Amino acid sequence: MALPKKIVKNISLTPKKILGERRQELLEIIQKDGTYLPKGIYHSDLDRGMLDFVKNDLGISVDGKKVNTVDVIITTQNWAQFTQTWNFQDLDSNISPPFVATVRKPETPYGTNQGTSFKIPGRPTFQYALVPTFDGARNGYDVYKIPQPTPVDITYEVKIFANRMRELNTFNKRILEKFGSKQAYTNINGRFIPIILENITDSSENGLQKRRYYIQSYTFKMLGVLLDEEQFEIAPAVSRLLQMVDVGIKTKQRKAVAPNPNENTIEGLFQYLNGNTQLTDNLKYNYDFYQIRSNNVDSFDVYINNNFIGSNLEYFQTNSGDTLRIEITYDNPSEDAFILFDQKLV
Amino acid sequence: MTNKVPITRISKFFGEKDFQLNIALGEEWLFGDMNFRVVLYRVDKSKTNQDDVYGEALKDGISFLPPVEIKGYVQVEAPSQATFGDSRLTQTEPGNMKLSVYLHHLEELNVQIQYGDYIGYAETENRMRYYSVADDGRIVSDNKHTYGGYKPFYKTFVCTPVNDDEFRGI
Repeated sequence: MALPKKIVKNISLTPKKILGERRQELLEIIQKDGTYLPKGIYHSDLDRGMLDFVKNDLGISVDGKKVNTVDVIITTQNWAQFTQTWNFQDLDSNISPPFVATVRKPETPYGTNQGTSFKIPGRPTFQYALVPTFDGARNGYDVYKIPQPTPVDITYEVKIFANRMRELNTFNKRILEKFGSKQAYTNINGRFIPIILENITDSSENGLQKRRYYIQSYTFKMLGVLLDEEQFEIAPAVSRLLQMVDVGIKTKQRKAVAPNPNENTIEGLFQYLNGNTQLTDNLKYNYDFYQIRSNNVDSFDVYINNNFIGSNLEYFQTNSGDTLRIEITYDNPSEDAFILFDQKLV
Repeated sequence: MTNKVPITRISKFFGEKDFQLNIALGEEWLFGDMNFRVVLYRVDKSKTNQDDVYGEALKDGISFLPPVEIKGYVQVEAPSQATFGDSRLTQTEPGNMKLSVYLHHLEELNVQIQYGDYIGYAETENRMRYYSVADDGRIVSDNKHTYGGYKPFYKTFVCTPVNDDEFRGI
């Protein structure tokens, strides 16, 4: 009877790290058994990683017998194939099904691991680690720099050769479960490299008068990266800084800036519409009023805080909080009128 | 009992007695001079341990009736080198075996060789190669299998090699 889903079958004795601690753990994996620098990754490392992935993660057993895996990338050299398969050959020295083999497409195009956008040209190196140093007198740092890894896509075809449908089913189930989330990872030199399942094809041998067997191909794309250790750089960090300042002795006269003639001045328009003869304004600041022009005004009287100041004034002063009232007499009462002032903030 | 129709073709110069004589002469040559022998393993379909869904025999699960030694004319084709499908894995595929057996001989033994039966052929004293019957030659109406158009007199079986994973004899 199946156990209820809530019952945990395996309990990890060490708590799983997450977020920052997990990143630090990954960094330690990358640097394990090495220097502060990461290990290089080359084509052969990626191929080895794929073989290990096929052997360890996709290995199956049918009827209690392990299905053999050809633990080498099938290349053009026949002896390599022979040496890797001699232990499961038949009387004719042919490989005896069922077995799993990995074939790599020779071409390895520019990869999509880091997206397909343009990269910084010239392969500059970037700071990877600051390593403390001590030369006997002074503490310092060495700067470890590495270039941006080069992405590379490698396509593998993992093929199962079998005589029975059950063997195909078992292998298919294993792969579909492993790639249930579209991709799986293989650990190559401490780095987790993603592998994507692209498609599944069948090229079984079904000839009427031929030996028949199933062949199913699973096409995987490894989103790998290449990292050449020869391109790593180690340089001492700056320990002392000499800063030099070059001061010119030639003096330049600064160009005079023309003052704004209307600085702190706004226009105040008093419009009298529809026969209205007086307007009132509560002033928030201290202003000097200068009359500029008027239209259809015969005469006007100025009152501040209801105190008559004068008539037809060209200039008058106000203070903040004053109530300004201007009453006019129209030239032509049937038309509108206005008086325009310059209000200078004082 | 079905009606029998006398065969009177080419009766002017060939008849049943001639036919029987030639078969006897041929068997004398084939059994006495050539003496090719194969072992027929007829699959016991009722006892064979097979997969419920796919009907494929499980490993070492094939049960067969008592083996029968059959005499016939054996032709083994040349092996061919090929790859496993579109992989780069090469193999040298053994050639098929063509087995021609007199109908008279099969009647004497009271056996039928059927599609899917296995045949063992001793290539050397200590090496037996097994084949599966891919064409049981059930139709013998063509001129080649009739004696000058008189009556069919032998069957040709095309057998493809099998590997140990499928069948490996007793």
